[in-house]
Amino acid sequence: MQAIVDCNSFYCSCERLFQPQLQHRPVIVLSNNDGCIVSRTDEAKQLGISMAVPYFQAKDLIEKNGVTTFSSNYHLYGDLSWRVMETTRLLLPPGHVEVYSVDEAFVDLSHLPTENVYSFCLELKNKIEQWTGISVSIGAAPNKVLSKVANRLAKKNKLKTNCVVVLDTTKKIQAALQQTPVEDIWGVGFSYSEKLKVYGINTAYTLSIKDLSWGKRFLGGVVGMRLIRELKGFKSHSMQAPRTEKKMIATTRMFGRNVSEWQEIEEALATYTTRAAEKLRRQHSAATGIAVFLLKKAPIQLDAAYYNRGRQVSGYTQLDNPTQSTPDLIKAVVAIGKSLYEKGEVYKKAGVILSGFVPDSALQTNLFVAPIDTKKKKLMHVIDNMNAAYRNDVLKFGTSGTQKNWKMRSEKRSKRFTTRWDELCMVK
Amino acid sequence: MEFQEEAYEQKTGYTGAKNYQSAQVVQANATGFGAASDDFMERGIDLNEQLVRNKPATFFFRVNSDAMLGAGIHIGDTLIVDRSIQARSGNVVVAVLNGEFLVRRLQVQEHSISLLPENKKYGSIQVAQLSEYSTWGVVTFVIHNL
Repeated sequence: MQAIVDCNSFYCSCERLFQPQLQHRPVIVLSNNDGCIVSRTDEAKQLGISMAVPYFQAKDLIEKNGVTTFSSNYHLYGDLSWRVMETTRLLLPPGHVEVYSVDEAFVDLSHLPTENVYSFCLELKNKIEQWTGISVSIGAAPNKVLSKVANRLAKKNKLKTNCVVVLDTTKKIQAALQQTPVEDIWGVGFSYSEKLKVYGINTAYTLSIKDLSWGKRFLGGVVGMRLIRELKGFKSHSMQAPRTEKKMIATTRMFGRNVSEWQEIEEALATYTTRAAEKLRRQHSAATGIAVFLLKKAPIQLDAAYYNRGRQVSGYTQLDNPTQSTPDLIKAVVAIGKSLYEKGEVYKKAGVILSGFVPDSALQTNLFVAPIDTKKKKLMHVIDNMNAAYRNDVLKFGTSGTQKNWKMRSEKRSKRFTTRWDELCMVK
Repeated sequence: MEFQEEAYEQKTGYTGAKNYQSAQVVQANATGFGAASDDFMERGIDLNEQLVRNKPATFFFRVNSDAMLGAGIHIGDTLIVDRSIQARSGNVVVAVLNGEFLVRRLQVQEHSISLLPENKKYGSIQVAQLSEYSTWGVVTFVIHNL
């Protein structure tokens, strides 16, 4: 059997852990830059607040009902996520936990006899809740797709299921599939679900009785075939090894306000590059490809039927030598940025994407170019260590600026209760 | 399930300190007459080993009241709180009563829960049946500045 452990309203649960007066009250968390609603409690859901809706659209509803609103506090969520995953890992054999996202992990239960799965899942749920204070739902089934189906049912009726649903018989699987609309199957996006409905397939069950060859023809080839196979109860997705090395690192963010001065854009690009370069060095890679994009503000059209997105401009450079040094990367990024920038335009967002990685241990240098400077590597190592030890970027590059007027909005962020000595939770 | 209980026992130690590697042991590496003490070097004293028994379940709080002065808990002290320990009567705990964090000594009797202060200025709190109460975690250590 396989299971998925999924935190309940994760970001909101993190906020509630240190603000217990919010228990049983509607709470929402906004995305970066206070743009959209990314997490909501059941109480907020009942008020009719939807996910991924822009904040300003739901603002009336939120204020009228006294919904407590938070900006994202990734320091807090990251720390609590680690705690949930670590607790899960401690209760399972090595290699049986695949962290799937910040609030979800697939768990391999093949070491347990089927009749013990339910009591184990309940135990796991209770332990995670007791140790970390974060409540989770667990769905268990013969494979990943069905465990997601089980998890959805566990979450839907928390009181009745006690947040644990195990699909261990054909009968239970069938009943669960009948209760699952196609659009709620893991891996079926909006456009596929619309297509499926045209064929009269509305529930996961009707899809599960289709032939594999049908899936191959109408549901994106091998992917669709695998999906139907899993719905039938066979296993097609195996547990994945943690993705420690990324093939691409992107840092893209919305500006806190409209930006049109080159100096501010340069500062933002340099700051994003600094972040991306840190990640690059952490995985011991050096980059050869650099892409930069700028997103312009959309012209305002009052009677537009749908949200209008601004025009995006982007540029790419292939470096002669792979590098992991922040100043080298900033230089290249700023050069691309400058070629894209147009005076008088208003920008909303910028991004830096590093790619074409090679390991930094054997920086393969061009035959006709001087070998990579080990001094630079040492310098970056020292800077990284100091910033990690003293926090708040004690050492940074001049280009990234000191004012940062363009920085993201996060007006309602709670304290970093678990990662900063001076922001600990108070107790009377 | 028995075997799982056993697994918890083995695994609940401080996991952070176990990441310590033998290469991190400090040695004199003297160039002159070989430092005899190198053979006896071990890892230094790590406070985490002593104070954090179960890392994913350990949290820190800042004290903002003198209610537990008698237990040696002063205003401004740091509390180390372990959520994985089952709270028993007599433990100093961080409790949540009607949405507020309190540090008190827990007293569990057959039909009632009380939160006892250790300072005469404060009265003990009998947790009413209808109030919203939960024990957040057990206080295991206090860090006090002298």
